[in-house]
Amino acid sequence: MTLLQVQGATRRFGGLIAVDNVSMDVAAGEIVGVIGPNGAGKTTLFNLISGFTPLSGGEIRFDGARIDGEKTFAIARKGVGRTFQNLRIFPNMSLFDNVSVGAIGMLGAGPLSSLRRDTKVATEIAERTWTALERVDLAREAHTLAANLSYGKRKYLEIARALAMAPKLLILDEPAAGLNDSETHTLAAFIRDLHAGGMTVLLVEHNMALVMSICRRVVVLASGRKIADGAPDAVRADPLVLESYLGVEEEA
Amino acid sequence: MDFYLQQLAIGLSVGMTYALIAIGFTLIFGVLNVVNFAHGEVYTIGAFAGLLVVTTFAPPLLAVLLAVLAVGAFVGVGLERLAFRPFRRFSDEASLKSRAMRESTLMSSLALSIIAREALEIAFGSRFQSVPVAAMINQPIALGPVTITNGDLIILGVAALMLIGLQYVLRHTQVGLSIRAVSNNPLGAKYVGVDVDRTIVWTFAVGSMLGAVAGVLVGFYYGAIFANMGFTPGVKAFVAMVMGGLSSIPGAVVCALLLGVCESLSTAFVSSVWSDMVAYGFLIVTLIFFPRGIFGGARERV
Amino acid sequence: MSDRFRARLIAIGFLALVFVAAPAALTAFGKSYYWQVADLALIFALLAGSMHLVTGVAGLLQLGHAAFYGVGAYAAALLATKAGLSLAFTLPLAGLSAATIAVLVALPTMRLVSIYFAVATLAIGQMLYLIMLNWVEVTKGPNGIMLFSGMKFAGLDLSRPLPTYLVVAATVCVSLFVLHRLSHSYYGNALRALREDDQCADAMGVDTVRLKIEAFGVSGFFAGVAGALWAHTAGFISPPDFSFQTSILILAMVVVGGLGSLPGAVLGAFILILLPEALRPFGDFRNIAVGVVLFASILFVPKGLIGEVSALDFARRQLAGAWRRDGAGAEIGWR
Repeated sequence: MTLLQVQGATRRFGGLIAVDNVSMDVAAGEIVGVIGPNGAGKTTLFNLISGFTPLSGGEIRFDGARIDGEKTFAIARKGVGRTFQNLRIFPNMSLFDNVSVGAIGMLGAGPLSSLRRDTKVATEIAERTWTALERVDLAREAHTLAANLSYGKRKYLEIARALAMAPKLLILDEPAAGLNDSETHTLAAFIRDLHAGGMTVLLVEHNMALVMSICRRVVVLASGRKIADGAPDAVRADPLVLESYLGVEEEA
Repeated sequence: MDFYLQQLAIGLSVGMTYALIAIGFTLIFGVLNVVNFAHGEVYTIGAFAGLLVVTTFAPPLLAVLLAVLAVGAFVGVGLERLAFRPFRRFSDEASLKSRAMRESTLMSSLALSIIAREALEIAFGSRFQSVPVAAMINQPIALGPVTITNGDLIILGVAALMLIGLQYVLRHTQVGLSIRAVSNNPLGAKYVGVDVDRTIVWTFAVGSMLGAVAGVLVGFYYGAIFANMGFTPGVKAFVAMVMGGLSSIPGAVVCALLLGVCESLSTAFVSSVWSDMVAYGFLIVTLIFFPRGIFGGARERV
Repeated sequence: MSDRFRARLIAIGFLALVFVAAPAALTAFGKSYYWQVADLALIFALLAGSMHLVTGVAGLLQLGHAAFYGVGAYAAALLATKAGLSLAFTLPLAGLSAATIAVLVALPTMRLVSIYFAVATLAIGQMLYLIMLNWVEVTKGPNGIMLFSGMKFAGLDLSRPLPTYLVVAATVCVSLFVLHRLSHSYYGNALRALREDDQCADAMGVDTVRLKIEAFGVSGFFAGVAGALWAHTAGFISPPDFSFQTSILILAMVVVGGLGSLPGAVLGAFILILLPEALRPFGDFRNIAVGVVLFASILFVPKGLIGEVSALDFARRQLAGAWRRDGAGAEIGWR
């Protein structure tokens, strides 16, 4: 079943075309990587999907319904969880409070439910939060401030926050940026694990090794266009990809 | 018709006084990207300093202005030391641009402005201090159907001089070059060897000199000086700055004039007690509909 | 369990102080002026608490809070003098009218960020102040409004100092309890997320615009209630009570106590009301004391006297349950 369907997505910034007529599908349960050189439009594509940036043309469907033009929070509530390339945790809140925001947003806890003794919502939020924290192994530090966390752990905190949303699609924007080899290795295992647990994952990544090792399908963008879409081995052999991207970085 | 012409002249003269304050205010905002809430009090202190000089020595206006300039520079440096420097503990980019820094300097300048205002009130009382008649600058001059005063001309002249002088300093001196560099990119300026801290002190000195001169001129123009005189003009200067596009000094001056004229013309339709509404209304409308100022996208820094 | 017990002890201690110790001491001194100071301190505790929700928790710097306080005071005064309504009606109606104005103000200004929002609230506060000052037909302008009838509730005469104080204290304590629930529950977490990074909160499914407007409305409501209390206790209101200086005074209370901390806001209010009173024998240093205390606290205790972290820790012990893994089960959720 197709979960996410991007059709002819286009985004112009003035004269620049950041994303040019890109179409791609993500089926439920899939793990898809989006790669491409700097400025290829990967993050813009993610921002289009999550509603941060409006489309200039084309359409995006999620779970059968159009989501382009919807507000960011409404898209999130439909089940699109994301992390950010430049970490955006809530620094002056504890880890528990950080992660709880994901659950609160999805359950829409309003002022009245916090005045009534609405233990049902509260229990649900607490359980989701604790489960997500345990999933990334941060439950023991739940009451420290996020600002005091190391860089590597902040990445997991962001992922936990997205997991607390119980999303249908998890979008990870360059999760391995700034991590060393062994940390990247652990992260790859973690993402593979998530996927094995049934999570649909869309991943933007610079680190080719990571993408090639965990993704079953890879979409390649260059200068805003999609130039390849297929299994990692097929993409690796694609002359167009080699020319625009891999030819430069393959030696790594 | 004559009535409107007269109101126009009054509006331009009021607008010119707003412009005087707005220049220094915008300079400091343009460089640091923080609001200096104490600018209104610098203006008040300038007025009181001028009054003290006049009542003790009765020198010519030019000498008063020079004395006030010195006081203004002193106050500006002190202000920077007390309210801004302590919060610039780290000069990395995150800290220079951080919200925490902006908000704590906002609060600290607010706190200092309260202290300064209340101290003046304790020292001089809350009543108007009247300026000696000889020192006032409001001799009427008839220009056809319109009457203006010599103060209008002096304020116009000083404002023009300030604008031109400031542009000269910014474009053709070493200090001006570093001010522009810091305004564009504090960290970049630091890396190429600009002494950022010193430049910021200079900015405060220059901006506060302009603010203090504005205070003494307006005080002598209306003939009344009081501890609370800086608040409303300070807000008006802020309005002019926002309307002018935040960091454009010429834009702020034009908008200050526009604001003055609109306020003055509004008295033709409603009682003058409501004229402050015009400024606040302009501010809200600008913020909501023209967040980049009424001249649109052009965002010239300083 | 002992944590909960201690937290409950502190809450009982606070209530005992407000409802037993303070009235006993005030009765012993017997000066009606002291009763007024105590009422004022409680009213400002509520004002600081209401601003805490918007400025401390949701991170929207508010420079016009006194205007909502004024709207509530004028609404109560007009309802009491023109329509002859008693406290039971004026309190909620004053709150509702202030909340309505707050929401109307919030609708267009919510898109503004940081300092621009702050200045917009300053401008709107000044506009409301000008209306109080110059709309003479309704507000009587600078002359203010006198409430002759005194405080009445369900036929009881509450105009003597002790009953008045008790009414004020009860209203303030109930309101602060509601604010405590809002700011320390999960709802408070959503508001904190706005403060930290509203775009990011948006991507978590938090309806940021609606949340901001709600917070503004709730805060306006309690400011309005505080205004009604002031109108009924003082018996006379005039525009200077609701000027920019008052907004700054409330802001200073919140900052001194610690942004994001409700107990801090209450403590800040007590300090900034009682300290100038204590200094009164030495001259009128009320306003300058506000400036000095504000400046010193920003410089030396930037997190406030009771910082957000310790305030949350303390408040959540009382709420218990969900915040602690070991409390899972029967005590999950807040009570």
